[in-house]
Amino acid sequence: MGAFAPWFKMTLVLEAAVLGILTGGVYALMASGLTLIFGVMRIINVGQGALVILGAYLSFALFRSWHLDPLLSLVITMPLMFGIGVLLQIVFIRPLKTDREALSVLVTYALALGIEGVLGYVFTSNLVQLRAWYETASFAVFGFHITYVYVFGFLLCLAILGALFLVLYRTSFGGALRATMLNRTAAQLVGVDVDRVSAIAFGIGVATAAAGGVIFGITNAFNPGSHYDLISRLLTIIVLGGLGSLRGAIIAALVMLVTEDITAVVISPVWATFVFFVILIVVLIFRPQGLFGVRVRERI
Amino acid sequence: MKRKALLLLPVAALAVLLPLVAPDPSTTNIAVFTMMYVGLATAWNIMGGYTGYISLGHAAFFGFGAYALGLIMVHLNITPGYGPFFLVPVVGLLTAVLAVGIGWIALRTRAATFVIVTIAFMFMMQLLAENLVKVTGGGGGLGLPYPHDWGGDFFNTPYYYAMLVLAVLGLLTSWWIRRSKFGLGLLAIRDDEDKALAVGVPTRTFKLTAYVISAVLVGMIGAVYAYYVTYIYPQFVVDPLIGISMVLMAFLGGLGTLSGPVIGALLLEPSQLEFAYRFGASRLYLVFYSAIFLIVILLLPRGIVPSVRDLIGRRRTAKGVT
Amino acid sequence: MRKPLSIACVGLGLLLAGCGGSSTAPAAAAPITIGVSVSLTGDFSADGKALEQGYDLWAQDVNAKGGLLGHKVTMKYVDDASSTQQVVTNYQLLINQDKVALVFGPFSSLLTIPASTVTDRYGYAFPEPAGGGPKVFAQGLHSIFFVQPAAVEDNLVSYTKWLLSLPSGQKPTTAAYATQDDPFTQPQVDKAKSLLEAGGVSTASYKVYPAETTDFSSLALQVIHANADVVILGTQEPDAVAFVKAFQQQHYNPKSLIETTGPDQGKDFSDKVGAANTEGIMVPAGWTPDAKAFGNDKFVSEFVAKYGGSPGDISADAAEAYSVGQVVDQAATKANSIDNKALITALHSGTYNTIQGPMSFDSVGKPHSSTGVYIEQWLGGAAKFVYPPNVAAAKPEYPKPNWQ
Repeated sequence: MGAFAPWFKMTLVLEAAVLGILTGGVYALMASGLTLIFGVMRIINVGQGALVILGAYLSFALFRSWHLDPLLSLVITMPLMFGIGVLLQIVFIRPLKTDREALSVLVTYALALGIEGVLGYVFTSNLVQLRAWYETASFAVFGFHITYVYVFGFLLCLAILGALFLVLYRTSFGGALRATMLNRTAAQLVGVDVDRVSAIAFGIGVATAAAGGVIFGITNAFNPGSHYDLISRLLTIIVLGGLGSLRGAIIAALVMLVTEDITAVVISPVWATFVFFVILIVVLIFRPQGLFGVRVRERI
Repeated sequence: MKRKALLLLPVAALAVLLPLVAPDPSTTNIAVFTMMYVGLATAWNIMGGYTGYISLGHAAFFGFGAYALGLIMVHLNITPGYGPFFLVPVVGLLTAVLAVGIGWIALRTRAATFVIVTIAFMFMMQLLAENLVKVTGGGGGLGLPYPHDWGGDFFNTPYYYAMLVLAVLGLLTSWWIRRSKFGLGLLAIRDDEDKALAVGVPTRTFKLTAYVISAVLVGMIGAVYAYYVTYIYPQFVVDPLIGISMVLMAFLGGLGTLSGPVIGALLLEPSQLEFAYRFGASRLYLVFYSAIFLIVILLLPRGIVPSVRDLIGRRRTAKGVT
Repeated sequence: MRKPLSIACVGLGLLLAGCGGSSTAPAAAAPITIGVSVSLTGDFSADGKALEQGYDLWAQDVNAKGGLLGHKVTMKYVDDASSTQQVVTNYQLLINQDKVALVFGPFSSLLTIPASTVTDRYGYAFPEPAGGGPKVFAQGLHSIFFVQPAAVEDNLVSYTKWLLSLPSGQKPTTAAYATQDDPFTQPQVDKAKSLLEAGGVSTASYKVYPAETTDFSSLALQVIHANADVVILGTQEPDAVAFVKAFQQQHYNPKSLIETTGPDQGKDFSDKVGAANTEGIMVPAGWTPDAKAFGNDKFVSEFVAKYGGSPGDISADAAEAYSVGQVVDQAATKANSIDNKALITALHSGTYNTIQGPMSFDSVGKPHSSTGVYIEQWLGGAAKFVYPPNVAAAKPEYPKPNWQ
């Protein structure tokens, strides 16, 4: 065993890295909505975690009643969540005029609690999980089994993010969105309806949460209280990536999960998240705006 | 000014005499936690309210203070009783050292990034408490020795007074800061940091000082809390819910005001404890709570105290005009 | 300086207590309320419901025979939202404001300890179903009673005995351990590890992970890589399910797999991992639906009648709650009083018969039972006792069959 030990460790590390990339995709999906919302409206949606869980529960309800496959249920849940997002933005976020950033944290936190409460009432706090054939079916690559659900999740992430990039860079709406992200006032001056753009952007952000929710719900047992852990991870991801940067969110999510998984096998699982935080702090000391963030005066 | 003092007198008297007026332990228990939040909200307000830097990670200091006292008591074999209360300032000092370290790094960032960095530090603290098992007891928790001879009906009282002392200390500090040049500098930072820097306000030092002061108070309160509940776990003292509650109370009452955090705490804490007791079982408690939360934030975005002040102010001018 | 003040306060307290009467026995045959803080929201809420069901069923049974020493029992549940502040507040309110006659304990070890220091101050007996880690007993309180057949750290002792008793051709040589850093799971796994190492089973891997972990794939990976004969996991339900799934995904088949919680949750577990995949998984348990213990048949049939489902769906938590009631009922009869002080004295001696078997308590509340905690194994879609032989309903299946 002695001679093989380093080789064994190496394969373990590689497998951990692969796992990190695959699960990183899921977090990238969930974080992308969060960073988009911040980019457009300069607000931190602390309720994004709860919205992911809501998406997971919607798919769960559809699965329970109609035996609808979770991935297929996205056809229903994503538009539904988009609508919910737009509604939430109009009712709860738009009225905030002063102290936006700070108040939005509290408002979205209240929304998260409200969502948690409703879900708890409807579904009870029992842990549930989405079931599908691809949650355990796997194919082997060099003796390591890769489960289909992660592959699907990764592909879904690529598809949605790809669509997002297309919208952002190939449509006029996307142009308006980017303009609003760069400078809200200037965008208004050139005729962009920032209110409409904000509402739609929020809707998009929430719709991506639905997608993330499905994959999260297949790979993790969840209950209404699961959003706390989730949101803290998502927030640290988007800060590392740079607030408002889509690219940054994706890279940061991969960095987080790969670091954690490798640390877990090389050092110990208990320090996995801690090491990630240390990396975050170190990056922020030298680049307070995050990896891909824009350093704008008074706007970090 | 005199009118304000007259108003304060009965309130202060009630606060001091509460355990004698309402000795039932279930009441004093709620009083302990309420006074705790009065102190926490006031302390947090010194940073969040005056400088505008919203820290959502103050629970790190709360938990640090809790564990600090616990570890001192356990490792130095301190006999429980009134003695440990005098160790609380020592905990304050230790918290100051920690806060300088964390603050120096965190304050390199601003606005939204700062918020999230404070959250990151809080989780790091929680992880340290969980993983340094030989020191903190890890997930198994840490027990603090407590006076067994104080009896059920008396037990809560000394803790109430300890929390009262810390809350008053926080209020006095906050009041003093408002009247000082330091406070003026902080408010200038909140309004426009770059301008403040341009006119010569030592922003880095001021921000760090405010951060440390607020952290020290929170840490000391955390220590008394640990002593009161007698057994602590990492996730229950480095608890994001405690962190966000103190923020919410300060906002509700009025950021940057003196009485705002106090009112926020007095309104939220006892009602939350009672609601959970009476309605928790119906699971709608969370929905109810969040609804109240949202209504208040949307209707009174500046908080209760400034809104009430505005209302009184407008009534006065209206009267004056007619 | 201290004495006169405390005497004055105690005097004041006694005066008020005399008016409130928390430790005086209510008038004969007056109905009583028993207060419990249960986690209905927050982290531990899934088990809170099962506990309620167990307590309710016990209350129903005890009232059917005339009440607790003639007093009709009403259960009062309050939600502690899995929070220390709330659980402390709840017991203070239950005892001082609602003036309940008796209290039962909350679900987890975590909340049991701070709750117990509160109830101890008021002289209340604190029989509890779920706080059995070493730190609970280290407190040295005389009012606490952990109603289970063994202290938590001894839960896997039966399992180690069985493994070490296997014939030399079958006996495992290596073991892999992974456990949550939790006062319930870790003590058992650590003790099992030391017993097995002493018995010649070497440790291929030992990992402790934070309780807040949500993604277990990399942990499972390490266990798989250790390639040990047996796998011992200190889990709660979510991780129990996650590990099983991960092992399935990677086609890893240990000869024996035991998890500290999860497989004892009946239908809840089998629904999540798939009924076919439960085959052969073991879990330490003090109770199964077909155990031949005091009142168990009645409990099972009544439970199914009241709540529906089948015997296999009943969660062990409900059985533990029911046992708490049984113990208090017998203690009250023995002491001929429902006064807390009398109950505490009574509970420190004698044996109490529960659906988890007979048990007695030492001075700090640690339970002792001649039978201990058994091994339960999923066989053909139902969980059965398989060891020790005198309580076994079936022979243990070894090695564990491969995943479907």
